[in-house]
Amino acid sequence: MIRTEGLVHRYGETTALDGVSLTVDDGEFLVLAGANGSGKTTLVRHFNGLLEPDDGEVFVNGRPVDEDLVAARTAVGMVFQNPRDCFVAATVGADVAFGPENLGLSRSDIDERVETALSAVDMADRADERLDRLSGGEQARVAIAGALAMNPDHLVLDEPFAGLDWPARRAVLEHLDSLSAAGTSIVVVTHDLRDVLGRADRVVALSSGTVALDADPETARDRLAQFDVRPC
Amino acid sequence: MANTSTTDVDLVGSEMTLNVARVALFAALMGAFAYVSFPNPLVPSVPVTLQVLGVFLAAIFLGPVWGGAAMVVYLLAGALGVPVFSSGSAGLGSFFGATGGYLVSYPFAAFLVGAVIHGGFEPDAPKSVSVGRLIVGMALAVPVVYAFGIPVYWYYLDVTWTTAIVNAGLLFLPAEAVKIAAAVGIVHSDRLNTA
Amino acid sequence: MLSYEPGDSLAHRLDPRSKLAVQIGFVAVAFAYTTPRGLAVLTAVTVGMLAVAATPPWTALAELKYVLPLLAAAPAVEALTLGSPWVVVADAVAPALAAYRILLVLAVSAAYVRTTPVRESRAVVQRHVPGRTGQFLGMSVAFVFRFLPVLQADLARIRDAQRARLGTERPVHERIASVLLSALDGAFDRSERFADALQARCFAWNPTLPALRFTWLDGPALVVAGGFLLAAVVTVV
Repeated sequence: MIRTEGLVHRYGETTALDGVSLTVDDGEFLVLAGANGSGKTTLVRHFNGLLEPDDGEVFVNGRPVDEDLVAARTAVGMVFQNPRDCFVAATVGADVAFGPENLGLSRSDIDERVETALSAVDMADRADERLDRLSGGEQARVAIAGALAMNPDHLVLDEPFAGLDWPARRAVLEHLDSLSAAGTSIVVVTHDLRDVLGRADRVVALSSGTVALDADPETARDRLAQFDVRPC
Repeated sequence: MANTSTTDVDLVGSEMTLNVARVALFAALMGAFAYVSFPNPLVPSVPVTLQVLGVFLAAIFLGPVWGGAAMVVYLLAGALGVPVFSSGSAGLGSFFGATGGYLVSYPFAAFLVGAVIHGGFEPDAPKSVSVGRLIVGMALAVPVVYAFGIPVYWYYLDVTWTTAIVNAGLLFLPAEAVKIAAAVGIVHSDRLNTA
Repeated sequence: MLSYEPGDSLAHRLDPRSKLAVQIGFVAVAFAYTTPRGLAVLTAVTVGMLAVAATPPWTALAELKYVLPLLAAAPAVEALTLGSPWVVVADAVAPALAAYRILLVLAVSAAYVRTTPVRESRAVVQRHVPGRTGQFLGMSVAFVFRFLPVLQADLARIRDAQRARLGTERPVHERIASVLLSALDGAFDRSERFADALQARCFAWNPTLPALRFTWLDGPALVVAGGFLLAAVVTVV
């Protein structure tokens, strides 16, 4: 479970988050919507302690994030926008191994995690390929595998579909479906709700740094337009 | 819940992580510059690479300590086989080649430029540094680069001092002036809003 | 571009540390025996080492073609004299031998680069340079390797766009500044995103390192390295 309480974040004079209280339940598929600048990316960066709150608190699995950053970062896997900029190695397998290596696991445990994570996104036989030679959709899947290799309870994806064509989108969506079915809670951050609304258990929309809408997808569908979110 | 003991993981702090990322990025930028050349104003048939400009920029944007570190990382990456030396070469052998001296000079030059430009170890915002100070800092680095480059060329190639000074020094001086001018142009451009 | 080629040659199976030792030894002998006879023997040794690395000599030469003009320039300039007889071939002998020696050293290091993945090389640094310094250097080298192709592609793209738009009228320093500004602006954003990505995956000072293991194959390689060093010391003394 991820929970924020009265979370405030400021960049200089601008207030990006203005008292956000939100809970992501275990196993839930949550869509976090909002226009550009509404604070969604800032919010998820608090889920694993990449940012420090100016006020309020963040808990992951009941523990304050700043009390054990390693626990928070293994429990919340994060897939960023532009996966191309976030790879740490030159080849697929070496990149996915980065997280488990940092956790100090044994070589055989690392290999096993890499294989499991790559299988989950249908890339198991591609471990030796160079990342810069993969298509955008394949890169997106490797980025997901990189987060999965930490064995997270929650997977947060920031604009995972930006720049992907339909077959690549569909492949990523199918993998999210099976992860969700296996019990991982999923948070998709997006300003474009095509294809994700039907999968969501819950939709939260941010506007000017506050929670403007927290509803089931059916209710949300009619009200989203007012937050500059593309409903379908 | 995480299934690993998390207490043994010694996390790299966020400021240090950003420094590592910047150091690696500037070292890689040096490597990319090694592929970009422009005609030498004195001898147009001999192309000059942009590497020394990379030294200047690392010193200007990262300061003496991290700028110097970026150069050490650049040399180490090249020695260990990342193709970052001129025209995509790599390997320990490059240090024993005709241009090995220049390579070794880069960390010293970056440290010197950074220290003069920022007036200490901590980097200031590059835009706040006057044009005069930028030029003096970079101009001081040129003799440092040649102080390593010329003797190494002389020693490894077993030529006379005159040949070494002409081939490895004088011919390239005008090109250094071009790089200094380019660096000043970059720092004081309106287009650069970072750092 | 000189870079690692996956393979199964003898050199591929050696520990990177033995290969580094052989290279250092070779440099020492090459400098100790820069005579026509010494270099003839070392040429045979180089060809042998390239064979062990499954790198044909012509491939190594092709990788090194950019240094050839630079190396040829030294003896050529040295042979020139101001005034009659203008060209003195004897003056060019020493620089020519020296230039050839550099070529051999580069060929041997090309064999290392082609048979050793960067991952193994940086593991050597992380293992043998003590403490956080080794960790910092090793990880940075790995990241340089990962950033390089991206930045090269950026620079090439920006340069092509500029050529198409601006032609060559403006002074050279302005053109350079303009290309680099676009590259740098992207580079700063990129380093921040990259730092976030590292932290999200628990970037640590004490990760599990790639395995490095000496095998019986490394025995002969270390003997060769030791032999080189010994031979070099003998001439100096």
